Amino acid sequence: MIEWIVSACILTGAALMFLAALGIFRLPDLPTRMHASTKAGALGTSLIMIGVAFAFMDVAVTARVVAVVTFIMLTAPVAAHVIGRAGYFVGVPLWEGTVKDVLRDKYDPKTHHVESGLEEVEGPPKPITYGMAECPVLQERDEFEPKKSDPGG
Amino acid sequence: MIGFLWNLLLALAWATLSGNFSGPSFLFGFVLGYGLLALLERELPILHGYSRRLPRFIMFLGFFIKELVKANFKVAFDVATPLWYMKPGVIALPITAETDVEITILANFISLTPGTLILDVSSDRRVLFIHAMFLYDEDEVIAELQEIERRVLEILR
Amino acid sequence: MINPLIVNIAYLMLLSGLLFAFIRLTKGPTLPDRVVALELMASIVAGTVGVHTIETGVASFLDIAIVLALMAFLTAIGFGRFLELGGPRDD
Repeated sequence: MIEWIVSACILTGAALMFLAALGIFRLPDLPTRMHASTKAGALGTSLIMIGVAFAFMDVAVTARVVAVVTFIMLTAPVAAHVIGRAGYFVGVPLWEGTVKDVLRDKYDPKTHHVESGLEEVEGPPKPITYGMAECPVLQERDEFEPKKSDPGG
Repeated sequence: MIGFLWNLLLALAWATLSGNFSGPSFLFGFVLGYGLLALLERELPILHGYSRRLPRFIMFLGFFIKELVKANFKVAFDVATPLWYMKPGVIALPITAETDVEITILANFISLTPGTLILDVSSDRRVLFIHAMFLYDEDEVIAELQEIERRVLEILR
Repeated sequence: MINPLIVNIAYLMLLSGLLFAFIRLTKGPTLPDRVVALELMASIVAGTVGVHTIETGVASFLDIAIVLALMAFLTAIGFGRFLELGGPRDD
């Protein structure tokens, strides 16, 4: 029984990875290649690791497997985002079958500023809670000023 | 989040005290701890809403895995067959998530469902720019993504 | 123990995947393509390590998979920063 589960996990995982590699080989441009590679690759690795957990049936191994799967699921999209964004802004050409591209004219490569396109529609932007570019320490912080006592008491 | 940590700790305590470090024992301790925290949450404000959030989270995981497998098959089919059925494109998704944590987790989940890939967040954090692979009907894609966003925010808030 | 035939089929699929990724790595028209191929190769190798763990029954091999996944992530982040700070180009 366990053997069948392990076999199914390994075979599905390996097949997914093979499809990811085939996708990276065949697909026409960078973002579509990343669609195939990152997610199928992450799911494939996770499935093989789950197969390992089933094969050993041991607490220490299972703990490590959970760590690996969590780590992969957390980092794969972040890595995909970083490379996809860098590739897009460096100017990698998109496939000619691309039907729509709303981002290209909203990006300023000098300042790395990205317009949302909603500035006119929704009025002033939302207050930014904490961002890397807008460090709150460097801005005015009037919430730390002592408040005036209101006249009502 | 802190409630989940307490729950894990209680399960670990159960496994330690019963001297049985197997999976079922740990799971039983987790269920017991969940019941205990559900009783306690009225008294402790830090645990507020934990007993509702955990089932929602588990349901979300089920939904997410279903989407993941379904969409993976779609991409796999397109890769394996010689013709291209895809219509890639970059779309803008207006979001209601506000803080860094919410946007990060939302972006991670959207990136993990194949067929969509986050390219960037606008500088005023109101729009996510997404590369979608199957853009037959833009409104439908955006509606699906907003469904994911609604579920993610339901867990986090 | 697990059927050796299944393990061998899995190895075959993983290795051919590695081959395809390697072709993309050598051919890839731009640097981001190569980075994506490298990252996929790292995760394929991590999967191979997992299959090898099952085949041999030595659990310590899992640590190698953890380290590989970590290094692949750091490499991707590093290359991403490098590319983005380089600015627009047309190679």
